[in-house]
Amino acid sequence: MTAPVIPDYLHRMWETLPEGRIPAKIFNDPAVHTLEKQRLFSRAWVFLAHESEIPHPGDYVLRWIADLSVIVVRDEHGQVRAFRNACTHRGNQVCKAEMGNASHFRCSYHGWTFKNTGELIGVPYHREVYRGRLDRAEWGLRPVRIDTYGGLIFGTLDPNADPLDEYLGGFQFYLDFFLKPGPEGAEVYGPPERWVSDTDWKICAENFGGDGYHTPVAHQFGFALGFYPSSGRTHFMGYAVHIPGRGHCIGIGHTPGLPPFVGFPPEVVEGYMNALSPEQISVFRDARMSVATVFPNLSFLIQPFSLAPGQPGLKFCTMRLWHPRGPGKIEMWTWCLVPKHIPAELKHEIYRVYSLAFGAAGTFEQDDFENWTNLSRQHAAFNADSFELAYLQGLDLEPIADFPGPGRAFTPYVTEIGFRNLWGTWLNYLLTPLGEPVDPARVPPAFHPPETQPVAD
Amino acid sequence: MTEAVTRSSPTVDDLLLHHEISQFLYDEAALLVERRYDDWVELFTDDALYEVPIRVTRERGAAWEVSPTGRLFDDTKQTLAVRVARLNTEYAWAEDPPSRVRYYLSNIRVRPADQQDEYYVHYNVLIYRSRGELPEYELLSTQRTDLLRRTESGWRIARRTIIVDQSVLSVRNLSYFL
Repeated sequence: MTAPVIPDYLHRMWETLPEGRIPAKIFNDPAVHTLEKQRLFSRAWVFLAHESEIPHPGDYVLRWIADLSVIVVRDEHGQVRAFRNACTHRGNQVCKAEMGNASHFRCSYHGWTFKNTGELIGVPYHREVYRGRLDRAEWGLRPVRIDTYGGLIFGTLDPNADPLDEYLGGFQFYLDFFLKPGPEGAEVYGPPERWVSDTDWKICAENFGGDGYHTPVAHQFGFALGFYPSSGRTHFMGYAVHIPGRGHCIGIGHTPGLPPFVGFPPEVVEGYMNALSPEQISVFRDARMSVATVFPNLSFLIQPFSLAPGQPGLKFCTMRLWHPRGPGKIEMWTWCLVPKHIPAELKHEIYRVYSLAFGAAGTFEQDDFENWTNLSRQHAAFNADSFELAYLQGLDLEPIADFPGPGRAFTPYVTEIGFRNLWGTWLNYLLTPLGEPVDPARVPPAFHPPETQPVAD
Repeated sequence: MTEAVTRSSPTVDDLLLHHEISQFLYDEAALLVERRYDDWVELFTDDALYEVPIRVTRERGAAWEVSPTGRLFDDTKQTLAVRVARLNTEYAWAEDPPSRVRYYLSNIRVRPADQQDEYYVHYNVLIYRSRGELPEYELLSTQRTDLLRRTESGWRIARRTIIVDQSVLSVRNLSYFL
């Protein structure tokens, strides 16, 4: 790997971030994109797949960690495994389909064949051309370290990365709202929708970390047509929580006077009651919506929408991966997660509501990508490193002392504290040389006065 | 499957039908180009479905390549009307300023459906979209299958299924209709 080039403005950002100032250039810079591959995506836990995408032995999907193609497969014994999608002979991809079922992967170049456990079991002319010098046990598919939480399969290329549980750092408490709408959990509805756009992945990850500030403007059509139960007057209310030094953040929007678990069908309310702890229920019972980012690039959203204005909203859950394809270029992946235990017709109704709002044609997604694409283009400007963006909201807020969940919680929902922690975490990865541990405690404080409150878990 | 128009000796009625249907589809495309969305939505029957399934790269011989469940659009006339109502507000930022969109229709094949006065129409649509001052443009190659119904007030679309010839779309968004 070539020596990393670290733009000077990243060092300056370390100083200005606690004051709420971020150089725009981070959102579109070839040097940053390269550094992200070398120091962030090479070490973070990156989302690969949901277990429901590969329910049966032999089921596989093709995914990415940065620009590395990864096969995620359930082997014949039901164990989930991940491999670099490259034959160990010449590196040709051994899997060319996005999804399917296979007991073996055979390279179409020279024919090396691998079991779905990664084991090399077929080498043409093995005896005649290798004459005993090829140890098949040494040349299996290269495994990628994986771990799971709540149906999510993550992979990391760093053998020394903290275990996933530690990496999530208590954020599991909040993820359960998206992943456990019942004791059986959630499943994907159909394959992911994918498109490539001139948008930087980071602005999307930030937005879904709890940017309630944009909603009344960017998605004003929803208010104008009468889709929202909330009004602009109360929209900012609720909570913002982040995990210090880990980058994960969530926004929980509240509207006073809404019934508990409004917008969820009765089956799902019952599911939540059985699957969540009393503390989790107390946090999410009154949520109008909630939106969260798992650092670095996986997000979730639950919000109500309906097939016609004025109808009672139906809550859907979307999971999305903001995959970096280049500086200022994203490959978007979006799924709808539905509760496993509900009838098929209800799953489809929820999906229809989701697809009217999200996905490339979604009425919300359309406006987001218009803004994000234009913004990313601005930040390609030659002097965007000296163009500081205002991340000033909530600089002086105090964390809530008795919040029932882990991490640091603040009110109102609309604030930028979580984003400062997100970009501090991101910067920590980029400025920590390979070989040194990425220490969450080094991340600059996201709010002032200095943290005097104990972590509330 | 297209015997209605491609058999060796088409009747004059076949030719008239093909002409009538293709003119309807050209007129319909013109409504979208001219952003006359309210008029466009009225061309759908009240029970219409408008679907754009997700296309997936699969191995040859896989059970499906066009997702039976995943949709880019999973719409009825009612939800198409919601999209149009949105475009009619002052807050449809994705289309303000509007995209420049054009539809190139070809390979039109017509065959009778089960009901009288209903026809399946298979055809290709190449969609061009240009936005803002960007010199780059988006092209989507698609195949449409329509179920058209002849009514007293003219042709209506009872079902439209659009297959896009990409599994990863090269678009900023789909703020226009396919």
